Amino acid sequence: MDVSQYLEIFLDETKEHLQNLNTQILELEQDSENMDTVNEIFRAAHSLKGMAGTMGYKRMQNLTHDMENVFSEVRNGNIKVQPNMIDILFQCLDALEGYLANIQESSDEGTDDNEPLIKALNDILNGNAGAAAPKKEDAGEVKSEAKEEKKEAPASDSKEKWMSIKLGETEKGLFEKAKEEGQHFYGITVYVQESCILKAARAFLVFKALEEKGEIVLSNPSTQDIEDEKFEFDFSVIVVTPESFDDVVAAIKSVSEIEDAFGRELTEADFGKATDGDSEEEAAEEPAKEEAKPAAAEEKKETKELPAKAGDKKPAAKPVVNRTVRVDIEKLDVLMNLVSELIIAKNSLVSSTSGEDTHNSNFNEQIEYLESVTTNLHESVMKVRMVPIESVVSKFPRMIRDMQKSLGKKMELHMTGEETELDRTVVDEIGDPLMHLLRNAADHGLEETAVRLERGKPEVGNIYLDAYQDGNNVVIEVRDDGNGIDVSKVRDKAISRGTITAEQAENMSDKEIVDLLFLPSFSTKEQVSEISGRGVGLDVVKSKIEALSGEVEVKTKLGEGSTWIVRLPLTLAIIQALMVIVGDEKYAISLGSIQTIEDISPSDIKLVQNKEVIQLRGTVIPIIRLSDVVDATSSKSPEDNMVVVIVKKGDRLAGLVVDELIGQQEIVIKSLGKFVSKCKFISGATILGDGEVALILDANALI
Amino acid sequence: MDELRVATELDTTQYIVIKIGDESYGINIAFVDNIVRMQHITRVPKVASHIKGVINLRGIVVPVMSLRLKMGLEEDVITKATRIIILKLETQGTVGIIVDEVREVITLDSEHIEKVAQDSTKSPEHVNFVSAVGKTGDELVSLLDLNTITLENE
Repeated sequence: MDVSQYLEIFLDETKEHLQNLNTQILELEQDSENMDTVNEIFRAAHSLKGMAGTMGYKRMQNLTHDMENVFSEVRNGNIKVQPNMIDILFQCLDALEGYLANIQESSDEGTDDNEPLIKALNDILNGNAGAAAPKKEDAGEVKSEAKEEKKEAPASDSKEKWMSIKLGETEKGLFEKAKEEGQHFYGITVYVQESCILKAARAFLVFKALEEKGEIVLSNPSTQDIEDEKFEFDFSVIVVTPESFDDVVAAIKSVSEIEDAFGRELTEADFGKATDGDSEEEAAEEPAKEEAKPAAAEEKKETKELPAKAGDKKPAAKPVVNRTVRVDIEKLDVLMNLVSELIIAKNSLVSSTSGEDTHNSNFNEQIEYLESVTTNLHESVMKVRMVPIESVVSKFPRMIRDMQKSLGKKMELHMTGEETELDRTVVDEIGDPLMHLLRNAADHGLEETAVRLERGKPEVGNIYLDAYQDGNNVVIEVRDDGNGIDVSKVRDKAISRGTITAEQAENMSDKEIVDLLFLPSFSTKEQVSEISGRGVGLDVVKSKIEALSGEVEVKTKLGEGSTWIVRLPLTLAIIQALMVIVGDEKYAISLGSIQTIEDISPSDIKLVQNKEVIQLRGTVIPIIRLSDVVDATSSKSPEDNMVVVIVKKGDRLAGLVVDELIGQQEIVIKSLGKFVSKCKFISGATILGDGEVALILDANALI
Repeated sequence: MDELRVATELDTTQYIVIKIGDESYGINIAFVDNIVRMQHITRVPKVASHIKGVINLRGIVVPVMSLRLKMGLEEDVITKATRIIILKLETQGTVGIIVDEVREVITLDSEHIEKVAQDSTKSPEHVNFVSAVGKTGDELVSLLDLNTITLENE
């Protein structure tokens, strides 16, 4: 069966489940008695197993299967959660992530069986004194079963997938009853044509046909899943009917777009084989046997229906699954482009009418209406692209937990604002820089436990990750209550490395010194540890964030801790900009970086170290003549007053001299393409109302 | 444009014949996205001189280069016949090239195309851009190697 088209969905969902497992297991570590968490874990593991199985990733399936067994025991209260168990589970998750990485690269899961982990999981199961004996067999059975499947698969092409349906006591009872009544029990796997579009509808027709003949005892996937089209091109059913097998198959095949149906009558032996493992499992799961049957049946149903349905059964379980549609980001890009064009068209309409008399009020009204529609449309398309940063930050608690162990420091991560939303492209990229900042905080920031106690700080170090929206930006702060940055240490280091000279150091403010940390290969920690200080450091963080048009700064107080502030733009595609004229060309400057606009007389320009500066309300601001930067000839004579746009980057200001101002405008950012990307201070282009292209100046790159 | 894109038969390739100065050149039609009239080109500062700037092609910003300057010829003289040929290339993406004139579309079958040896007598910077010569009637058309032309070697 060709499952490659589902690979992407599989990868996405698996990642989600793994993330979920990570979070839940962390929670379990905190509160080992919480049954909701255990249930949630169980469900996630079960779905993982199912998905891996469907995609044919046997190793992944085996591992998750064993994990699921452990959770199932925990859930039934047969095993208590222990720290070493949590460790093993985390290792399992890492192993699964390894599989996933392999699959992502080569669509093959690799050959690592992770035997030690599987063994460790089985040891956990066996370690349970009370149910030790049956457990072992059970685990063995699981393995042999899995192996059997493996062997079977190539041999018989496993067309009769119904064989893998687990038959429980209930079914056995029904089977015996049916036999007494002279009815037949058939296991059938139905194949739908791969070209079939409405699989669910076809399946429904098959079910209907079968129900006319007899009764459907079991189906795999569940009826609900089949209705929701949660199956590939085949599904299996167990039916009880008085009709002959051929009649039943004929009825199935009478439904159009059904490729084929395979199956045969069930015999006693089938139940014997299948129920063996199952009943034992059940026996192990629930010492009280009477309860076992309904519980197991329920459980099967429930787990198959996935967390979506879990909500109503377990009101305490927290994830209320959002009703979402997965949309290819490229489709959104297309939509976004259309909206952009609409905005451009609107701009040109506005510009073509602005010069004329405004006596046609109806026309203007319509334009205003169009304007509000495009603005709203733009906003909602942008919103579609927004995802909460949760998907990135939720892996951090696990990371801090691991670091706690490897660094031997006690620390805790506090996160707020996980629901803050950012453009999908930004969210995808922001994970690494944030992870680096957190690692820094844990490794460099927080003191050793002994030092903390000495300083009268609480033993457990605190790391905070706060995200919030601030105007058109999203701010993410990584804060720790550790040692802070020792400025003199950084200074010494910079001097010893030759980054700056001693004289330069004299003249630098503390802030400037701290900013040296963002230079390539600058690690102040004497001891290079596994976690940070390998030279790929803050410079990477900085460049990555700047690539997203964001910025990063640090505030620190020795002895009290540091705060790293990452500021990211909310949207990337459409910005408010100031249009200016330089020479005879139009340029756009992002409004976000503009502080003020000043009218400066040429006599106010002073020379400091051969650079032109102006003094403005007590601050000395270097000025940059844009006409020089863009190789244009200024249309103004040197005696004229100059229009200076004061822009800000972090704490630094600069004045950009332009020839004329046009005004503020909402512009759509377009990429310049490969050919002209070498120009550093041009961040992109935009299309003006008259169809002309104007370049966008990146003020940050100019300063 | 559409009628130009009729399916080519086996072993035949369609070329758009353009003129630069007095010489005719052929551009494989498979890489041609569009041909537009000369329009305002927005200059981009600090790029190679043969990159003339960018234009707005129905909402997409497309860089435009001068074929003349790239070939080491004199600056373009913009006339009514001047066109920008928008190429869509696999590696370089979309790029426009300025040509003096677009003449016609010709169909060449493979036996009328002759590969050019690199040690031709022509000036070296010139020959690099020509991958083959096609014969149509008694006329010779130099077939441009688009990848070399659009390659940025700085």
